[in-house]
Amino acid sequence: MMSVLEQYSLLLGLVIGIVGVVLSLYGLARAMGPTCREPGKDVPASAGVLSRDPVWGRYHARYYGYALLFLAFDMEMAYMYPWAVVYKEIGLVALLDMGVFLAILFLGLLYGWSQGALRRQ
Amino acid sequence: MTVAVVLVALLGSAWLLAVIEAWLTTGRLRPVAPLLAGLSHLGRESLLPRKPDRLFFETAPVLLLVVAVLGAAVLPLAPGLVIADLATGALFVNTALAYVLVALIMAGWGPNGAYAMIGGWRFLGQLIAYAMLIVMPITAVAMRAESLLTTTIVGSQEGLWNIVYQPLGFVLFFIAAMALAFRAPFDLPTAAGELAGGVDAEYTGVRLAVLRLARLVLVVTLAAATTVFYLGGWHGPLLPPWAWSLIKTLAVAVSMLLAGRYLPRIREADLMRWCWTLGIPLALLNIFIVGLLILVVP
Repeated sequence: MMSVLEQYSLLLGLVIGIVGVVLSLYGLARAMGPTCREPGKDVPASAGVLSRDPVWGRYHARYYGYALLFLAFDMEMAYMYPWAVVYKEIGLVALLDMGVFLAILFLGLLYGWSQGALRRQ
Repeated sequence: MTVAVVLVALLGSAWLLAVIEAWLTTGRLRPVAPLLAGLSHLGRESLLPRKPDRLFFETAPVLLLVVAVLGAAVLPLAPGLVIADLATGALFVNTALAYVLVALIMAGWGPNGAYAMIGGWRFLGQLIAYAMLIVMPITAVAMRAESLLTTTIVGSQEGLWNIVYQPLGFVLFFIAAMALAFRAPFDLPTAAGELAGGVDAEYTGVRLAVLRLARLVLVVTLAAATTVFYLGGWHGPLLPPWAWSLIKTLAVAVSMLLAGRYLPRIREADLMRWCWTLGIPLALLNIFIVGLLILVVP
């Protein structure tokens, strides 16, 4: 059994290794020949016409209603994991505690639903 | 040694998956084709779009590959055959795969192209839909195992696999895993024929090869996660443990491919509506049922 520090260093080594492999692949590809510079070649795909640029900032995130509810649920999940690990040990009390918490959160979801938050705006 | 074995298993599974995928679509079994296709990308031009966000554009394919491998690094292939058996293993899978979103947003934003950017932002909507259906079923799995260690989770399924113990959680997790791997019918960010490839659209040459490899590895990682959390991991008769892990992982991955072949692409609005009005209530119900089962059945 490895220590925690060893495990994380192994994961870090894995990350560095993958990045290294990818970079050497890039190097290999570059060694096989340069990119030929030609007009129009670097224009992003846009159905045959030159795209209007910059395109950044033109997207309307129509799911923002969901996104707000998502924040609440995502926070709640942070509490769920430690709770799940000790659940069997604590038993019925744990079920009731989390049940009340989730019930309140679920009421929030139902309220949001009734107010039209669960709809693409 | 362990690292090498796990990486070979991971890449080997990705290769087999590519062969099977081509077999299902073309009807021809060509084992060398994926390797040749990968190699041929090396000889092609890898273009940089004009006025890109260079950092995002370059980071995205590497990041996707890194997080897919990191997710697999905490999943056991056999007893003792796991790169890092973290005490927070099940959570770590989540954390690593949360970066799939970051990678896709980067791939969408980076090239400064309209189709790519729409693909990237769409995936943010997709994450808001599927994310809860990944984490909530895993919570129920951890409740039964009393641990987030992936090896303990597999151990907890020795008598009865989680697919039988919590079938609802399995179905939700399987669908969410397909959405996370952006496979058809959830391939909203790439959406061939609609977004001209979406986040893939501006990648060419060796960068595209890395991106495609990352996608394949991601599918294998998610199939391995499904195996570990729901299909009893390495448990099985006769064959050695690692063989069972690989067989189950491949079976899950191929079933994901098959499901995608017979279903039309779902719309973003529909996906979000179904996930939030049906998926999340069912996921909470799953946690409640598992909680009762744990208390009632000793």
